[in-house]
Amino acid sequence: MTAATRTALRASIGSFTFHGENRPALGSAALSVTPGALTAVLGGSGSGKSTLGKLLAGWLRAGHSGEFRGSLELDGTRLEFQGAPDDPRLNPAEWSRRVAYVPQDAAAMLSTVRATVAEELAFGLENRATPRAAMLRAVERTAARVGLSGLLDRDPATLSGGELRRLAVGCAVIAEPDILILDEPLASLDGAGAAQIEALIRGLCGAGTGVVLLSQAADRLAGEATHWTVLVGGVVTAEGTPAQLAGSAELERSGVLVPVVGGRGGEPDTGDRETGVLEGGAQKTGAQKDGVAAPGPGAGTHGAVAPVMAGLELNGVSFCYGGDSRRRVGPQPVLVLQNVNLTVRPGEIVAVTGANGTGKSTLLRHFNGLLRPAAGEVRVCGRNITGVPVGTVAASVGLLFQHPRDQLFERTVLRETLFGLRELFGKAGAEGKARAALAAVGLSAAAETVHPAELPSSQQRLLALATVLAREPAVLALDEPTVGLDRTGLEHLGRAVKAAAARGTAVVMVTHDLAYARATAHRILQLDAGNLREI
Amino acid sequence: MTRTHHLHPFTALTAAVGAAVVTTAAASWPLSAAVAVAAAILAVRGGVAGRVLSAAAVILVPLCLSLLVLHGLFFPEGHTVLAEWGPARVTAEGLEFALELGTRTTACVLVFLLFSFTVSVPDLLSALAARRIPPQFGFVLASTLTLLPAVAGRLDRIRQAQEARGMVVRGGLLSRMGTLRLQMVPLVLALMDDAGSRAQALDARGFGNAGPRTSYRDVADSTAQRRFRAAALVLTAAAVVARLVVSWPAGVTR
Ligand SMILES: Nc1ncnc2c1ncn2[C@@H]1O[C@H](COP(=O)(O)OP(=O)(O)OP(=O)(O)O)[C@@H](O)[C@H]1O
Ligand SMILES: [Mg+2]
Repeated sequence: MTAATRTALRASIGSFTFHGENRPALGSAALSVTPGALTAVLGGSGSGKSTLGKLLAGWLRAGHSGEFRGSLELDGTRLEFQGAPDDPRLNPAEWSRRVAYVPQDAAAMLSTVRATVAEELAFGLENRATPRAAMLRAVERTAARVGLSGLLDRDPATLSGGELRRLAVGCAVIAEPDILILDEPLASLDGAGAAQIEALIRGLCGAGTGVVLLSQAADRLAGEATHWTVLVGGVVTAEGTPAQLAGSAELERSGVLVPVVGGRGGEPDTGDRETGVLEGGAQKTGAQKDGVAAPGPGAGTHGAVAPVMAGLELNGVSFCYGGDSRRRVGPQPVLVLQNVNLTVRPGEIVAVTGANGTGKSTLLRHFNGLLRPAAGEVRVCGRNITGVPVGTVAASVGLLFQHPRDQLFERTVLRETLFGLRELFGKAGAEGKARAALAAVGLSAAAETVHPAELPSSQQRLLALATVLAREPAVLALDEPTVGLDRTGLEHLGRAVKAAAARGTAVVMVTHDLAYARATAHRILQLDAGNLREI
Repeated sequence: MTRTHHLHPFTALTAAVGAAVVTTAAASWPLSAAVAVAAAILAVRGGVAGRVLSAAAVILVPLCLSLLVLHGLFFPEGHTVLAEWGPARVTAEGLEFALELGTRTTACVLVFLLFSFTVSVPDLLSALAARRIPPQFGFVLASTLTLLPAVAGRLDRIRQAQEARGMVVRGGLLSRMGTLRLQMVPLVLALMDDAGSRAQALDARGFGNAGPRTSYRDVADSTAQRRFRAAALVLTAAAVVARLVVSWPAGVTR
């Protein structure tokens, strides 16, 4: 690869401080992106990966979003920033035409004014006056590359988590940028989707695009990078080839998830469902070290020692979206769940897996009544919840949403955790429970001062988890709890789930990470064509 | 993706504006009533009767009642007195004027409600973009037209999050109003947050570009529709001119 000798984007960062903060989010860091090469920036929770990505891509602008000292160089044109008013101004439209960014929160990529997936994909091309015929071709081609061909006429607001991720990647790729920065691009994707995006990245690199991967895991995709940069607290602590850094003390200290057994650098079996196998492997060992690994599947009988009633029971549940829609024209109702039966005993941990868009999140929303079955019944602690308000069921069922930003709404971390606790534990008990839950997920320090929206994405997930744990529900439903968590985060999660199960909580957890599921759950169920089956 | 069965948004818009202007200019209550009935029938056929009529009721019932009271009872130019209570006189002229104004307003309101409930916002935007209307204007229009659904969607997600943590909402209106109080601050914060991040995404996707742009959505138009629009515009203009000629005979004869 001769093209790889030229640098396309070079950033040299002295510091970047958000307006209103006194501590810089990024300290000294430098990064070079070469055409046709994959560069990985690895770092744990809150290490500044997303800030770095947004700064490189012009989503965060000097002066506009914060104070930036350093330089950005794109194809030989160098911009110097001193944090002064006469600093050069970056034209976001021009810059982003060359450098594209896919945010960690895929929904943040959407224009929100387009009615279908196809139009959303075309939005960036429309703004650049691409002729319509070329747009039609590009939309079709990009949809095929990211696996959205069947969903082109859907309203973007109704996509599942994994479908949304594909759309966000598609929106960036369709504009054919020279440099593509991807923030946790495999989060929430099923095996096929992850393989598809990995293949897409390989193809882009082959065609000369410089790709930057921001990740909390040194997983298979990161293993294909030519260069690793390790970020800790906004500062680059190590860089080099994967071979040089794998197993290094710097990587260990960064909190990045590291594979324990092989598998780096292009395993042939890309169609494998177990995309998260390396993260899972790391979690397994990490957890075992702390003595919190869940018992193997055999321990499932443990809950059956006493003849206790089921914590959660679904009998013949069916559901479809758009069933009660009053619109005369519109898409056909989608049958998502078909006669689903599920029994979870107290103390049992059940993992649910399945392809993107099969209805896993839909299933969990039935547990507390946020969605009501078209047929069948849901029983919580032996009680049928038909007609019982969600807020009442919530005393027994805790639901962790797939997107933390859908769960968090308060002004501070502590207030967020306290919401609804008084009703359960009284004025005196509530604060203690809230603080204990925050401590369990490692967020005590942020309690009074931090706004939930300002937390890094992984800590938002942990905060959302704390709000659910604090309620000590009899049934715990977790929608992709591992996504975006670094090593410490996974350890907190593992301990919390284990402790809840030990208290007799029935746990249902949706995940694409089969290895994690095997390490944690007593049973693994697969949702496929509306049905659950044991695997 | 074939939307040929839809009217082009400009055709619908022209028809709506034309009908409203002609009705106003003609100032004849039978014509107004005919237009109002026609709009109602079209609303039924379009499957939006419920929404159009309930919105119309909210606007028109108080309006028509006040017209009746104001002009039916106190019409200074009225001669044919039908009834009299102190200063209030029910005159035939007053009633006729109220009827005239009431049917005219009803017709206009129905026509515009019908338009706004049947037009496809994406089609309208893309048609505007094709006419080189600045996209920022289009975006403002789109955001305005989609603002209510967007706010409602956000509110719904906040409510779901709160319900999932024990906030009990029962069916009743009072219960809903009571919980709404808990959702206001989160809603404002969330909307501000959304707006900020959306601005970044829009910038990054070239939305601020000054140059020309194209449209992916193909809004079907036809020669027949174009002819109809031209004819409707001519008719509307003629109605306005005729009205002016009739209203100011002194100016014309001088
Ligand atoms: N409000 C809605 N209206 C119509 N369809 C919807 C709606 N919400 C979800 N869907 C569709 O229902 C199907 C199931 O969605 P769901 O979110 O439950 O999938 P999932 O299994 O959780 O997927 P993922 O792994 O991507 O999170 C998907 O095809 C999704 O696009
Ligand atoms: Mg989901």
